[in-house]
Amino acid sequence: MSTYSDASGAIMPLPKARRATGFGGVVPALAFVGIFFVVPVVVLLLRSVLEPVPGLGNYAQLIGSATYLKIFANTFIVSGFVTVISLLIGFPVAWALAIMPGRLTSVIFAILLLSMWTNLLARTYAWMVLLQRTGLINKMLMGMGLVDQPLALVNNLTGVTIGMTYIMLPFIILPLYGVIKKIDPSTLQAAALCGANRWQCLTRVLLPLAMPGMAAGALMVFVMSLGYFVTPSLLGGTANMMLAELIAQFVQSLVNWGMGGAAALVLLVVTLSLYAAQLRFFGSQNPGGR
Amino acid sequence: MKTTFAFAAVAAFVAVSAPAKADSLVFSSWGGTTQDAQKAAWASPFTEKTGITVVQDGPTDYGKLKAMVEAGEVNWDVVDVEGDYAAQAGKNGQLEKLDFSVIDKSKLDPRFVTDYSVGSFYYSFVIGCNADAVKACPKTWADLFDTAKFPGKRTFYKWSAPGVIEAALLADGVPADKLYPLDLDRAFKKLDTIKSDIVWWSGGAQSQQLLASAEAPFGSVWNGRMTALAATGIKVETSWEQNITAADALVVPKGAPNAEAAMKFIALATSAEPQAALAKATGYAPINVESAKLMDPETAKTLPDQQTASQVNADMNYWADNRDAIGEKWYAWQAK
Repeated sequence: MSTYSDASGAIMPLPKARRATGFGGVVPALAFVGIFFVVPVVVLLLRSVLEPVPGLGNYAQLIGSATYLKIFANTFIVSGFVTVISLLIGFPVAWALAIMPGRLTSVIFAILLLSMWTNLLARTYAWMVLLQRTGLINKMLMGMGLVDQPLALVNNLTGVTIGMTYIMLPFIILPLYGVIKKIDPSTLQAAALCGANRWQCLTRVLLPLAMPGMAAGALMVFVMSLGYFVTPSLLGGTANMMLAELIAQFVQSLVNWGMGGAAALVLLVVTLSLYAAQLRFFGSQNPGGR
Repeated sequence: MKTTFAFAAVAAFVAVSAPAKADSLVFSSWGGTTQDAQKAAWASPFTEKTGITVVQDGPTDYGKLKAMVEAGEVNWDVVDVEGDYAAQAGKNGQLEKLDFSVIDKSKLDPRFVTDYSVGSFYYSFVIGCNADAVKACPKTWADLFDTAKFPGKRTFYKWSAPGVIEAALLADGVPADKLYPLDLDRAFKKLDTIKSDIVWWSGGAQSQQLLASAEAPFGSVWNGRMTALAATGIKVETSWEQNITAADALVVPKGAPNAEAAMKFIALATSAEPQAALAKATGYAPINVESAKLMDPETAKTLPDQQTASQVNADMNYWADNRDAIGEKWYAWQAK
């Protein structure tokens, strides 16, 4: 609240002295984060080393099992795939958005945001309907005579990658758009004047300038993908299970909090280290700022 | 201002999670059409009769249930769980003993009664098939595992639970009376032969969708889903050959705040008329032996309790003792 009303109801600016001490105001927010985010994580950590017997048995079991290692590896492979494809699709789209006329930009943004605001489960099921053997895509391909057998596009890695990439695209396009929009077009003109061809303009000028935005977007997509549950479990098969689903199995089906906590904690540690690495390489500056 | 808001938010949060008052109880089930039917067939008459309101909650989640009991902060009074979980949780001291002076068990199917649980309804895993989509429908578990005779994807229940392992062993020629203890290695070996042709369903609605779209034109599904599918006008075939029964169970978590009202609720839910009403609405079988008389013969005929000729009972006690070990093996095999 930066304003308050006097007795007559007129809005008055707050006295300066009140505005300068911001810390008192964030205490409740910090307490909220502490109680609802930090405490549960600590409890989970404790359970992972205390249940069923105190010690690191759960972690040993996680790291010692070929199956669990495969699920870990698969989680990273899928997240990596999704991140790379999102970047490949997202960069041109963000670039186009940044240079097209304003009215068209709003339309494309509206489409992007509308899809983001649509229920995740509904969007995932929609992909299922599109991708299944008797789905629209296979019907079209077979109708056009391009394939004679329906392609297996769902319940496998293909399905997971398509569904997750689609869901992650806005998260990479929005930060990239912000960065590209900030790039001064005259830098590209200058590059061209100095004799750079189009390819060099892209690789030597545009990409380096957009790098912080790409890194931020890619990290966000990668980290979000690591913990993804609904889409992989509906569009993937059991052979490409991801970590979030394993955690759900431990907790919901096997009621094994120790293993669930251990798996969740490994995921958390990996995520935090990635974030730390990003801070180290790209600093904590705002995307696009120097 | 901000502080006030934060406190208000916390207060609201606490208010929402406050235990229900004594003239109400909380019932947790699996959501969807089954819980709607339970609400109509059990909760409404119960409230009419006793004045105790029934708050519907869910979906049932074993992790949540265990956490509630361990923290001594139970806010579910009656929970609909799977039979193998009920048997295990009872043995682990996570459930209240049921009060059989309130609940009349003399008319309940003894297969589904323990000290800690009574059946809720019972279902069979049957061989369901979308007859419009294929030339011929599999009739036996062996057929369902025969990809040469019946090519295409088949769908099975994804979670570690009674049903799929039994089906694999029956398909491999194990006689029904020699199923237990389950020969897991043999079952997985049999399952390996069709692994690349399995599409897993994780919830009843998904099994319906897979059959209806012919994504997987046949598979092992809950019989009630075939009833629902037939009602949509799709030509379906259901084979009851060696249908494998399992029951859902009603339990009271240890430390439930309204345990007394919970016993009364279970007493009514398992009595003949409400059991018949639920069976009519869902296609699952009543666990009260008097209920079948209260239904028209046409409906009664389609329920698992009338399909006993070759019926196979999943052994809930065996599952309770081995649930964790099987679960670990099961998920490891799936992820391979």
